[in-house]
Amino acid sequence: MTDGMIRKAGVFEIVNHWAMSITFLVLGATGFGFLFHMEKMNVIFGDFNRMRTVHNWFGVAFSVLVLFKIVLYLPHVLSFDGDDVRWLLQGGGYLSKNAVVPPQGKLNAGQKLFAAVIIVAGVAMAASGFIIWLMPGVKRWLLLSQLAHNVSFDLLVFAIPIHIYLASLASPGSARIMLSGTVPLAWARKRHAKWVAALESKAAVE
Amino acid sequence: MAETRRKAILISPESCIGCRGCQTACKAWNQLPGQKTGDPANFQNPPDLAPTAFNLIRYIEMPGDAGQLRWLFVSRRCMHCGDAGCMKICTAPGALSRTKEGAVVYDQDKCIGCKLCSASCPFDVPRFDGRDKVVKCHQCHDRTAEGFLPACAKTCPTGAIRFGDRGELIATAKKAGYEKLYGETDLEGLGTLYAFRETPKTYGMIENPAVPESVVFWHRVLKPLSVIGTGAAVALSLIHYIAVPPKRDEEVKRDD
Repeated sequence: MTDGMIRKAGVFEIVNHWAMSITFLVLGATGFGFLFHMEKMNVIFGDFNRMRTVHNWFGVAFSVLVLFKIVLYLPHVLSFDGDDVRWLLQGGGYLSKNAVVPPQGKLNAGQKLFAAVIIVAGVAMAASGFIIWLMPGVKRWLLLSQLAHNVSFDLLVFAIPIHIYLASLASPGSARIMLSGTVPLAWARKRHAKWVAALESKAAVE
Repeated sequence: MAETRRKAILISPESCIGCRGCQTACKAWNQLPGQKTGDPANFQNPPDLAPTAFNLIRYIEMPGDAGQLRWLFVSRRCMHCGDAGCMKICTAPGALSRTKEGAVVYDQDKCIGCKLCSASCPFDVPRFDGRDKVVKCHQCHDRTAEGFLPACAKTCPTGAIRFGDRGELIATAKKAGYEKLYGETDLEGLGTLYAFRETPKTYGMIENPAVPESVVFWHRVLKPLSVIGTGAAVALSLIHYIAVPPKRDEEVKRDD
């Protein structure tokens, strides 16, 4: 492997990402609508009854996508190691121009952390959402779910804008991972040294 | 008087004879159908508030003096809390609102049937009809707005249910010897007051009613935090972009 491109994300991963981003936008917007009684949303949905239907069914789609997310990213999250701890302690090198960070795997520690947030908040969102929707009879569960739904909401509306920034403006060249799925080898070697090294040694063996 | 003064219902169990005229009058005015109930354990019927029963008389049997039976009749309905948990948690604008008389009323067309209000109510009041829309006592706001008494108060033959100016009702009860009314100060004052001779528990009412703590926490912290959090995330990103601009592609290449 010399110069050229290297595949970092598969088609399924990319489609799952954009599908999830659409459901997140719809669920987040309607969520803010419910939270702050934004009657202006009626311009889009007609009334709050219909907005609820949209919110619930996009929630079903979101839940399925979270399951795919778990399959795709949980192994990465669980591979969290000492290099990742040091990477996070240095703020991933994002805090200074001259920072040198420990070598990273296919996902860097920040990406692993974000994947963990999506998995935890996503599962909490989905579970609490289904409880509120389908079994509102048990009041303690209803209250607990309302709390979990809102804690996860706060977590996501904070984490997602940061994710968008870090994956676009803050890190030139990374946005294409979720478009074409490929990155230049040199780019990957610099940011995901352990991953590229592992691929190269494997290629050498073959 | 510059502002409309809050109205309330004052319930005096000591005057109640358990005739259930209030239940019937409520059904008549609100056009609520009868309800098939099971074999009641005592005279109380229906056993609980229902989509077709906005109020009911609780029949409490307990040992009295000299081995006699003590029978208490306590009318139960929405308490029209000053700080209403149902209104706080409601997700649909206009589904629950407060009239200028202070009653907590509902609009079924606006209700989206999420049922969160039932979990947030300290008194287990909201019920849901066949379409999952909220129903409950609305203090006959359609009558009181026109200067009529609520149906239950109008029909009560003994004055056990009285409707009027909240402050005046409290003053009258105090003159009659009640030191503190149930609901006088709870939850910023209830719109349904009770003149109890003994502890609220005796009459089957909870002591110190409160909106669930998780709902208060959500309302005070989590709700504003959603906006603050989103704003902070965007602001931090912008500040970071200016303070620590990303390395350009050339720099990345040169480093290799």
